[in-house]
Amino acid sequence: MPGFDFSNHTRNAALHARGVPLPKATSTGTTIVGCIFDGGVVIAADTRATSGPIVADKNCEKLHYIAPQIWCAGAGTAADTEFTTALISSQLELHSLSTGRKPRVVTCMTMLKQHLFRHQGHIGAYLVVAGVDPTGVGLFTVHAHGSTDKLPYVTMGSGSLAAMSVFETQWKATMTEQEAVTLASNAIQAGIFNDLGSGSNVDVAIITKDKTTLKRGYVKPNERSKKQKSYVFKRGTTAVLNEKIITKEEISKYVTVHELEGGETAVGEKMDIDA
Amino acid sequence: MEFGTSGMLNEDGIHVDMDRLKKGEVNLGTSIMAINFKDGVILGADSRTTTGAYIANRVTDKLTQVHDTIWCCRSGSAADTQAVADMVHQNLGMYGIMNGRPPTTQTAAALFQELCYENKDRLSAGLIIAGWDERHGGQVYSIPLGGSLHKQSYAIGGSGSTYIYGYCDANWKEGMDEEAAVNFVKGALQEAIKWDGSSGGVIRMVVLTKKGANRHLYLPDTQYAVRHE
Amino acid sequence: MSAMFSQNPLMNGPNYSFNQAPSTAAAGNKEHGFYPYTDNGGSTLAISGSDFTIVAGDTRSTSGYNINTRYSPKVFKIGGTTSSQDDATLVLSVVGFAADGEALKERLDAIVKMYRYQHGKPMSVKACAQRLSTILYGKRFFPYYVTAILGGLDEEGNGAVYSYDPVGSYEREQCRAAGAAASLIMPFLDNQVNYKNQYIPGSGVGHALVEREKIPLGRTEVEDVVKDAFDSAVERHIEVGDGLQMFVITKSGIEEKYLPLKRD
Repeated sequence: MPGFDFSNHTRNAALHARGVPLPKATSTGTTIVGCIFDGGVVIAADTRATSGPIVADKNCEKLHYIAPQIWCAGAGTAADTEFTTALISSQLELHSLSTGRKPRVVTCMTMLKQHLFRHQGHIGAYLVVAGVDPTGVGLFTVHAHGSTDKLPYVTMGSGSLAAMSVFETQWKATMTEQEAVTLASNAIQAGIFNDLGSGSNVDVAIITKDKTTLKRGYVKPNERSKKQKSYVFKRGTTAVLNEKIITKEEISKYVTVHELEGGETAVGEKMDIDA
Repeated sequence: MEFGTSGMLNEDGIHVDMDRLKKGEVNLGTSIMAINFKDGVILGADSRTTTGAYIANRVTDKLTQVHDTIWCCRSGSAADTQAVADMVHQNLGMYGIMNGRPPTTQTAAALFQELCYENKDRLSAGLIIAGWDERHGGQVYSIPLGGSLHKQSYAIGGSGSTYIYGYCDANWKEGMDEEAAVNFVKGALQEAIKWDGSSGGVIRMVVLTKKGANRHLYLPDTQYAVRHE
Repeated sequence: MSAMFSQNPLMNGPNYSFNQAPSTAAAGNKEHGFYPYTDNGGSTLAISGSDFTIVAGDTRSTSGYNINTRYSPKVFKIGGTTSSQDDATLVLSVVGFAADGEALKERLDAIVKMYRYQHGKPMSVKACAQRLSTILYGKRFFPYYVTAILGGLDEEGNGAVYSYDPVGSYEREQCRAAGAAASLIMPFLDNQVNYKNQYIPGSGVGHALVEREKIPLGRTEVEDVVKDAFDSAVERHIEVGDGLQMFVITKSGIEEKYLPLKRD
């Protein structure tokens, strides 16, 4: 049967009951918000991912693509928000192709709630769904158990109380795009600074009838300060206890070795290294 | 299944605890009611949704339409009651099309009962169904936790209802006119909101008559005196 | 019908604590007990030099995912003659349960003050260290839930650091990190203060390498190491932040420094 495999659930429950701590999933103990304005909707998120009290990722992406004009902000278990939004995004695209219509925010919300309800809260995805479709602007929250709310401004995650306090004091019924973006950004910053589960930067996605703008790192109020000392070690500082040289011919038995053409440079994710 | 330990079935298998929300579930710690009056029925509800002590939504709409003139009041788990209402909504829609005439309130209530009874061990849903149909006029049905079905002249439900049994009993009159009926519902819900911490926000009402559905909204800013919307 | 507290992990704060006991109760009755301890997070660290000791701690106090305050000192001068503690020679840092830390500080301070009045001289770090151990063990079966570090100058004028467990086991060390981010900071200290895992390049092969020469760090270098250690801890531990308080103990007195840390 396709889908989830629950065969280890009983074993894990038994182990847990005997005091074995379960492995910790990366949780985006998060602040996410959404806010409607005249002609569109804005969603925003912080960028901290935690595992217990440890920061697992200082700049993760919590704004997920569903459709060109529908985006989702996710809180809860990182893997669940990632996979759930990807799954619904896929289904929604197929649905859109077969009906020949643009996907709707309510459709997306309904698919999410039915998927989450089916799994009775075991999929720990807490989502803010936002978008613009032919029927107009849509903004919803979806809880892990499958309940939904439709509101003009919403917050979720561990920083939701801090963020909601900003909305409840500053929100207005009519706002321009810039006003809404600033308000959402301020709400996220309230979470970043007052909730330990949230931190680092503010990501923003603005959706209007005509276009979607994703502003990654809209505000960066937590840049790391310069180190006092240099921590560059002289080459050879670390003891090498033994050494084995593996040739390219040998390793190509296990992985595909791709030769770079003349002038081509290797592309990989850049890592911060001390000067 | 992760129920609170206090919510499990007892050894006798009969007792069902009231506190049987699944962990972290969004709760409609509610005050809901529906009544019959001269021209039809009125449904009423507060608007508070909570997760623990936090109010997740202060303007919730707990009055849900499942057909043109058949509505329900939801209490208990938000997820469960939304899922059940969505299923019944779909079912009644099909029923109306297939039979070429709208379903009766009784049919809707029976559909709700089916779901609530067959899944009683998995649901925490307390529902009140009220509707108007050509054959029977206005009707009110109540489906409490176990999934039983009760036809009543009026029904109250949710955590706030415990505070207004006396009020309702003392002030209930058969065959009230619309104004008196609205005031009865409003007066009862005001008391429920006043005394129940899990209820609050605005008062929403739906008046169902031959003419169709008519929504009412009353805000706490004006002591629920002025009708908005 | 409403549950009193949300079981939503996001709303209750982090699902970790001192005792990593399973949160879902096993079969049987659910106990509803009184929990006298709270973890208030934060981290402390102390490094001794040839003629000075630096004791530092962040100033954030937390409970769960909340910040109680951004300025709650964890490092205290001990045993001065006045309330301003101007002539104190000892510094105590406490991290763990803040209320117990405060109680422990008050008690040790009173004892060291009494010693000065009775003996007409300030207490030595060595004597104070032993006394602190006795105080902690005195509550062996209802411990002060803190990790304490005592700093001062010994009889020869060298920097001295004593570190403790909650029930009074202690030892004198070159340097020590304690609290929430101890596991993040301590390996850094081992490497940068005691030059652990650092060898002289090309001095040998395999195990025969010559270790890097252990030159005691100067005061400014230690201050830099402390700042960098805390800046890094703030990056990766959610309970550390807001401010860095540093006490530098020299023979001419105790100097206090405060530096801001990230507040997210």
